[in-house]
Amino acid sequence: MNPWDIYKKAFNAWENATATYMEQVLKSPLLLEPAGAWLSTMMKAKAKGDELAAGWWGGLGLPTKRDQERTLHKLNQLESKLLDLEERLAADK
Amino acid sequence: MIPLASLFGRPPPAVGQTPSDVVFAENKWRLLRYRAWHEGTAWATPVLLVPSLINRHYVLDLLPGKSFVEWFVARGHDVFCIDWGTPGDEDRYLTFDDVCDRYLGRALERTRRIAGAPKAHVLGYCLGGTLAAIHASVHPERFASLTALAAPIGFHDGGLLSAWTRSKGFDVQAVVAATGNVPWQLMQSAFHLLRPTLTLSKAVHMADKLWDDEFMNGFLALETWGSDNVSFPGACYQRYVDELYRNNALVAGTFTLSGKPARLEAITCPTLAVTFQHDNIVPPESAAVLLERIGSADKHRIHLPGGHVGAVVSKKAAQGLWPAIAKFWADRD
Repeated sequence: MNPWDIYKKAFNAWENATATYMEQVLKSPLLLEPAGAWLSTMMKAKAKGDELAAGWWGGLGLPTKRDQERTLHKLNQLESKLLDLEERLAADK
Repeated sequence: MIPLASLFGRPPPAVGQTPSDVVFAENKWRLLRYRAWHEGTAWATPVLLVPSLINRHYVLDLLPGKSFVEWFVARGHDVFCIDWGTPGDEDRYLTFDDVCDRYLGRALERTRRIAGAPKAHVLGYCLGGTLAAIHASVHPERFASLTALAAPIGFHDGGLLSAWTRSKGFDVQAVVAATGNVPWQLMQSAFHLLRPTLTLSKAVHMADKLWDDEFMNGFLALETWGSDNVSFPGACYQRYVDELYRNNALVAGTFTLSGKPARLEAITCPTLAVTFQHDNIVPPESAAVLLERIGSADKHRIHLPGGHVGAVVSKKAAQGLWPAIAKFWADRD
């Protein structure tokens, strides 16, 4: 067996053992609970920041990003409803 | 060293090369129809491919010679595929019902109408398989058959994704409120964490094959696809996690689609579930549970060695998996 093959064999053994160990660690509630709480805190902080910015922007009488998203979504929904109707008409023919 | 250096000058692999036409488009999604092989179509029932929402559809048409789509088109199938596209910021409000009922229903209806067939064979891959199974449980009359390719159905499977999404600390509502669409970067990081040593392992095993052009093309095409993810529409993601992951609603029989109960036992069409032994994204038991729950008597399982992606697009797949699916469809044409 050449040195490269020996290295690969050892690497595979290490990789398998490490992956199994990491899976146990990453499943552990001891890690998941604080990691989840940290993620949630960051997300809530971002949402609060966005809300403040939108409040300021809206205070100037301008449409916020959320207003624009809602309008675009409504337009997409309208297009979909027209297509629904078209399909119903085609089915009735 | 020379093959390693040549990696830097190598053009990116040309993925998704099978010629197709966009036959329908709505919001960001499109319905593709692959152009028939010279001899035309040989089968009466068209095939609709439903890829995952968060990955690009071209995984099923990776490279010439390694393309699921090309293989089936060459054998006379009329193949359609949904390209979900890239959600815009406004699609944060897109619901699970919009995607799974309205869009998928429309894709099926158009496929059926364009091909002039009463029903279609539907193949859903990964989350696409979950969407197809839910749709089939509410509209079974639209399906000539259902093929669920590594599709998660039971979400309490002991896997890492299941553990993370069900962790008490994970507040899905906070994530969606802050990000709108759940960023692909967040999901890709989670997928990397499923096996953190995988990147290193790939590098070590790639070293052996640096001079093998065919292997490297396939490898780089898969890496290209793996890094080309899309964000998950926020409202849709929230329901996906809350009801499917946390409540396991599909297996419990409590899931609804547009207000109608989505019970797996209502699936009466011929059904094929494909599971992979080393799939760490969708553990085999999560996908196999579909067959235990459906009402169809014509149900089959193929269990193969390999992982979630490799086993679907490898050379081996062209010798084992693809012919098996072709036979399943041919017997039910």
